[in-house]
Amino acid sequence: MEGVAIIGAGQTRYGDFPGKGVKELFAEAYLEALKSVDHGLDPQTIQAAYIGCLSAGSGFQLGQLAPLLMGHVGLPHVNAVRVENACASGGFALYTAACAVASGKFDLVVAAGVEKMRDVSSSKGRYWLGVSGDTEYERLAGSTFAGIYALMAARYMHEYGLKREHLSMVAVKNHRNAVANPKAQFRREITLEQAMNGVPVAHPFNVWDCSPTTDGAAVVLLCNAKIARQFTSKPVYLKGFGAASDYLAIHDRNTVTSLAATRRAAAEAYKQAGIGPSDIDFAEVHDCFTIAEILAYGDLGFCEVGRAHYLLENGDTQLDGRLPVNASGGLKAKGHPIGATGCGMACEIFKQLRDEAMEPSRQIKNARYALSHNVGGSGGTAAVFIYQRGDES
Amino acid sequence: MGAHISIPMYQRAVPQRYRLIGQRCLKCGRVNFPPKAVCKYCLTGSEFENVQLSGRGTIYSYTIIAGGGAPPEFAEDARCKGSYPVVLVELEEGPRIIAQLVNPPGEGISIGMPVEAVFRRIYEEEGVIRYGFKFRLV
Ligand SMILES: CC(C)(COP(=O)(O)OP(=O)(O)OC[C@H]1O[C@@H](n2cnc3c(N)ncnc32)[C@H](O)[C@@H]1OP(=O)(O)O)[C@@H](O)C(=O)NCCC(=O)NCCS
Ligand SMILES: [Zn+2]
Repeated sequence: MEGVAIIGAGQTRYGDFPGKGVKELFAEAYLEALKSVDHGLDPQTIQAAYIGCLSAGSGFQLGQLAPLLMGHVGLPHVNAVRVENACASGGFALYTAACAVASGKFDLVVAAGVEKMRDVSSSKGRYWLGVSGDTEYERLAGSTFAGIYALMAARYMHEYGLKREHLSMVAVKNHRNAVANPKAQFRREITLEQAMNGVPVAHPFNVWDCSPTTDGAAVVLLCNAKIARQFTSKPVYLKGFGAASDYLAIHDRNTVTSLAATRRAAAEAYKQAGIGPSDIDFAEVHDCFTIAEILAYGDLGFCEVGRAHYLLENGDTQLDGRLPVNASGGLKAKGHPIGATGCGMACEIFKQLRDEAMEPSRQIKNARYALSHNVGGSGGTAAVFIYQRGDES
Repeated sequence: MGAHISIPMYQRAVPQRYRLIGQRCLKCGRVNFPPKAVCKYCLTGSEFENVQLSGRGTIYSYTIIAGGGAPPEFAEDARCKGSYPVVLVELEEGPRIIAQLVNPPGEGISIGMPVEAVFRRIYEEEGVIRYGFKFRLV
């Protein structure tokens, strides 16, 4: 298998952009990614593009979105395909791109994600938030993903003694981290009291337990590790990548306090990288709802399943803790443009591992290995990546 | 825009939605609900016999959907009632299933409570009211 390196990455700010559509968002992220390649890159040498997206601009372009976007940035001839696994679309685009390079088939490819969620009313937007679960049963029980994750949270509380305030600690941490991130949607701190008393959405969740709806795009440029140094002296290596699935419906799973797809994807990624959870210096994990970050701690091996709340109580996953999680602000505060999220995490890690975190206050120092984790819906799919900084001798 | 389940598609699930018909795997003997083409327990059995489920079970987990948590086709319900509970029920015969609970949230819901299936209006699409099972506390 060939080694895989990231040589450039770019993303739009996440947020609410009435002036930009799917094409404009994608182009902005793509052009920023190109510009980030230290020694330059001739775009005409790009061979393939894997673009994650769920709703294709709230349904306006459900078919052949990828060639539409590539034609918009002067690359109509590239082998382009849309990749869809709901909120993990970006992660699966990155995974597919990494496999394409690792196989030796291509040397230079684009992995990207884009989502335009804010063009439609809040009610129309919610249509898209419950069509990636088991629509026939979960959706017809009157639930979107907030409700499905709430079922996991209530069961976790019952089994392991997790308290309402632990959920809010995730929100408070991630909002605090987003303040210094110029790419984040919500750059404001919230207090624990605020986080515990928001407008109810799906008990035990209130609005502060939920990721928002977001416009945004992210683009990552991958190449065969052998040629990475033509482009930069600071590549970031993708040392491990794993992806897996599970039953789509929550009622078909043995347990609801752990995501089997995450556990399987993580095992694959750790094995390929030849390292374990204790080697990870920082991580970007999928916190679409506060409980999702708590599940991730256990499923990624940062602690035993059921003991995640102790990491929060100890402050271990804060920016200054022993294992910072979601330094970007996470989906909660950086924002969650569904299809873009998995690639946006890779952008954040690319910047952090090159000491280019934009604001000095949020730079994680002396990090060698990082991990990103992207979940589709309530855990029907998951992708996990392990990155290694490449400027060491 | 609501979840789109066409009338024929809804009709195909009538044995499950109206009568709670599950399938017993002829290989391992366990009960699948909703039906699968290959048994979700032994992962090999593909022949089944129908079984009538009792509709009795216990609450495995629950949530209370309010305002922004409701999909558009249930937004009116959320508005009228303020909120409505959704439960994950472990049925007597083994499988778990998700559905609404008809009792109002104020009654106090907790994990482990016994419930039974009842026949109710689910939602309306294409001008046709769709019926199926919900649960109520016993
Ligand atoms: C939580 C949620 C229901 C709120 O939606 P809403 O009530 O329609 O909110 P609106 O978009 O009308 O925003 C109202 C206000 O709340 C704020 N807000 C909305 N969602 C927020 C969130 N998740 N966190 C913090 N603030 C939020 C908005 O910024 C806005 O503030 P403003 O009035 O100061 O501008 C919605 O964000 C949601 O559905 N989130 C889940 C997304 C999801 O399921 N993603 C897939 C995950 S698997
Ligand atoms: Zn069987």
